[in-house]
Amino acid sequence: MHYNWLVLAIVFIPVVGAFFLPLASRVSLRFRNIAAFVLVFSSFILSLKLIPLVLSGKTVLFTREFILGFNFTLLADNLAVFMACVSSLISSIIVLYSFGYISHYENQNEYYCMVVLFLGSMMGLVFSANLILLYLFWEITAITSWRLIGFFREKNYILKADKSFLVTVFGALVMLIGFINIYQQTGTFDMISIRWLLKDPISNIAVLLILVGILSKSATLPFHTWLPDAGVAPSPVTALLHAAVLVKIGVYVFARLFLVTFTLPDIWHTLIPIIAATSAIVAACAALIETDLKRIIAYSTISQIGFIFFGFALGNTLGIAGALLYILMHGLAKAGLFLCAGIVEQNTKIKDITKLGGLIKTMPITAVAFLFCAFSVMGIPPFGGFFSKYLVFAGALEARQIWIGSVFLFGAFLTIIYLFRVFNLVFLSEAKAPLVKEASPVMIFSVALLGLLSLFSGIFINYPSFFVQRTVMQIASVAR
Amino acid sequence: MYSALILKPFFCVLIMNMFLKGWAKKTALWVALLLSVAQIIFAIFPETYHQSSFIYVISNFFKFDLAADNITRVLLLCIGIVFFVTIILAKQMIKDDDRRFNFINLLLIIVSGLNGVVLVTDIFSLYVFLEIVAVGSFVLIAFNKEMLALEGAFKYIILSSVASIMMLTAIALLLLVSGSTSFSAISASLLYSTYNPLIMIAMITFICGLFIKAGLMPFHGWLPDAYTAAPGPVSVLLAGVVTKTVGVYTLMRIVISVFGLYLPIQKILMFVGASSIIFAALAALGQTDFKRMLSFSSISQVGYIVLGLGCGTTLGIAGALFHLFNHTIFKSLLFVNAATVEAQAGTRDMQKLGGLSAKMPITGFSSVLASLSAAGIPPLAGFWSKLIIVIALWLSGNYIYAIIAVMGSVLTLAYFLSLQRMVFFGKLREDLMNIKEGGLGFMIPTVLLAVITVGAGLAFPYLLNTFILPVSSIFGG
Repeated sequence: MHYNWLVLAIVFIPVVGAFFLPLASRVSLRFRNIAAFVLVFSSFILSLKLIPLVLSGKTVLFTREFILGFNFTLLADNLAVFMACVSSLISSIIVLYSFGYISHYENQNEYYCMVVLFLGSMMGLVFSANLILLYLFWEITAITSWRLIGFFREKNYILKADKSFLVTVFGALVMLIGFINIYQQTGTFDMISIRWLLKDPISNIAVLLILVGILSKSATLPFHTWLPDAGVAPSPVTALLHAAVLVKIGVYVFARLFLVTFTLPDIWHTLIPIIAATSAIVAACAALIETDLKRIIAYSTISQIGFIFFGFALGNTLGIAGALLYILMHGLAKAGLFLCAGIVEQNTKIKDITKLGGLIKTMPITAVAFLFCAFSVMGIPPFGGFFSKYLVFAGALEARQIWIGSVFLFGAFLTIIYLFRVFNLVFLSEAKAPLVKEASPVMIFSVALLGLLSLFSGIFINYPSFFVQRTVMQIASVAR
Repeated sequence: MYSALILKPFFCVLIMNMFLKGWAKKTALWVALLLSVAQIIFAIFPETYHQSSFIYVISNFFKFDLAADNITRVLLLCIGIVFFVTIILAKQMIKDDDRRFNFINLLLIIVSGLNGVVLVTDIFSLYVFLEIVAVGSFVLIAFNKEMLALEGAFKYIILSSVASIMMLTAIALLLLVSGSTSFSAISASLLYSTYNPLIMIAMITFICGLFIKAGLMPFHGWLPDAYTAAPGPVSVLLAGVVTKTVGVYTLMRIVISVFGLYLPIQKILMFVGASSIIFAALAALGQTDFKRMLSFSSISQVGYIVLGLGCGTTLGIAGALFHLFNHTIFKSLLFVNAATVEAQAGTRDMQKLGGLSAKMPITGFSSVLASLSAAGIPPLAGFWSKLIIVIALWLSGNYIYAIIAVMGSVLTLAYFLSLQRMVFFGKLREDLMNIKEGGLGFMIPTVLLAVITVGAGLAFPYLLNTFILPVSSIFGG
């Protein structure tokens, strides 16, 4: 019984708590910062508490009936708990890093309020088992990211914030039409009921409509332009929230809807890999020629998201397991890359990588953390990213999608090139700008933590992979 | 007992002007405030109303045929809230006692007329009350006697009288056919002669007259001028309830209880609604005047209400009614924000504003809430009403209109984001460094309306129950 309240607490502690942070700042700024961290971290701890339960094959369901099928239903299964742990862990490290990064800017109250609210609505989205509830939390994350991208109030940044808000809201509304289409077929928005009612694959038009929403949130090819723009918004923390956590929303919803809830018509098992492959290659090429540090990492995110989509779209156990691991590994490593980029940019005040160089001499820890995270993204053993990439390719072989698989292999090759290029230009080559000192200890600690986590998640791969295997088994048992 | 809502404001005006003029100049405001609070309480808890014998005698003298179902309750609530807000704004913005007294008098007359429009069940009485409201509005728009205000009021007079003539003609035709002016008699006689060309002409003429009053897209010419030029409290009143009651509520009432939902009428309603949504939103995108943008947004949002009504299903009408309520709240809030900004910064030109959130946090934050509610972003109230309208359209098979309604939300968001960017969100301009948050008279309405917007969004199941039930009861009876 009390597990119901646990799920509710994971969602509502940050959502409600976020609005008390401006009040907490009246006590003292330090108290507010710690309160923000506690709110986010408590979500992580409580999500961890759910792990033993879901590993034993049980699920937690909290439901309240509302009019017109807008039921308030929270469901904690393996997939949801996995996603909740990953995103709350990364968000906790982000908040920790913010203590150092954001301390000398205005509007800090709004910043902390929005970050915590974002995490809370992310948790709500992860656990929601009702399409309307999912849409609701989806849009709250869009609101918070709008405020965060425009955080520095420069006209140019606000234009970019508006752009990302409009693109994601457009996608979400199209997705909403898709949901209503499903409502027309089944008479309910409840995912669990839909799973039982809808025996046939859903109509292609509904898949297309929902896919528009997912692709726009995950910044995949036709709707990807907002992410690099959000990446140049001044705060790397914001950029990181987007690249490491927010874009995973789309991928997660893809898994939640098309793997667990509906059955995809067969044609999409070939179409989605093609979309994902195009996105991966185009974004990787863009990352190769770009010179702005954070834009490169943002394009890299778009490219890697393609791999995750590919894994899920394959639909076999290996592919899904690979994609799930990919969410974890990419989240950790990409967070590390963005935070390192933030340190470099804040200390040198330069964004252009061709004007940087030799920073490894004065910033050794940042450089090594960057390298670790980059190795993980490239997929070099024994870093975590290797295992996820390997499983996705193994899944491709099993599904006999050799051609698409080899396109992705080329994408992985490009990843290695552009990440080494960045590392080389920023940290190794001759110094072109005055060398600067390391950042504050708390920032260094966060990037080092992420770098080490990228390494240890690979060395101790059996723990996450055990969880992922259970998740895949559960998905396979409900999918037909 | 409902007649008290019409009679009390009316008699207050009479008594204050005839006997107690010197005393009333100071106290008229508080009398009006009391009336507005009484109306809000009455609309929420109708059973609490205590009938005084004096009013009972008078209301026997004035025989109205009054109906009150739950739709009228919702409208009475909207009128009560906006009435309250307008009075508080007037206290803040109109400093001169004489002018304020005149304002309160006109306001009471309008409220009396609005309550009448909402309550009557007779098409000719309806017409009379519409005219009472219209005359009061003409004067209020031109209240400051500025050039633009006079122009706006003049446009409104001309177009409104065209509408009046059209409606009067339609009433004459209906009287010819049915021999009576009461709603029930007309609708009963229409059942037998639906496709009588005379009836069709009467229906179309009447509805077009109401389109003018509601300011829908092909007939909207007067609306942006009138809203923009009117003084702050008056724009709140006009945008919040006057056009909504006079145009939209009347349209709902006439279509549901008198004409019945015939396919041709539904098609006209949906077409006009959808074109209003799109074209008004596009027009709003290009505006640089704060209030003018809000006016076009108002046209666009009324389009949603008409679209929901035109859908014709119970769900659609429920959504339309819910959106009417939400629109009253968030649009009033935005006009209050506009009045605050104009009073503090001295301009409505958005290109001369910027970054006001830093100095006016309450106004800035509440305007974000209102804009997001208008754009239909959850969890705010506007989302639920739009969602219900879209679901109703989709389920009734009007896929194209559903898609138009949804894409209208993107346009709405686009112009509200540009409003936010130019006025509130952004760097504070150098020349606005000394700006302050508005006084208490601005903040009370702002906070009240913002709380309702958020509260209605979070408590939507309760609200849906009170909105859905009345609508199905109308179809039953």
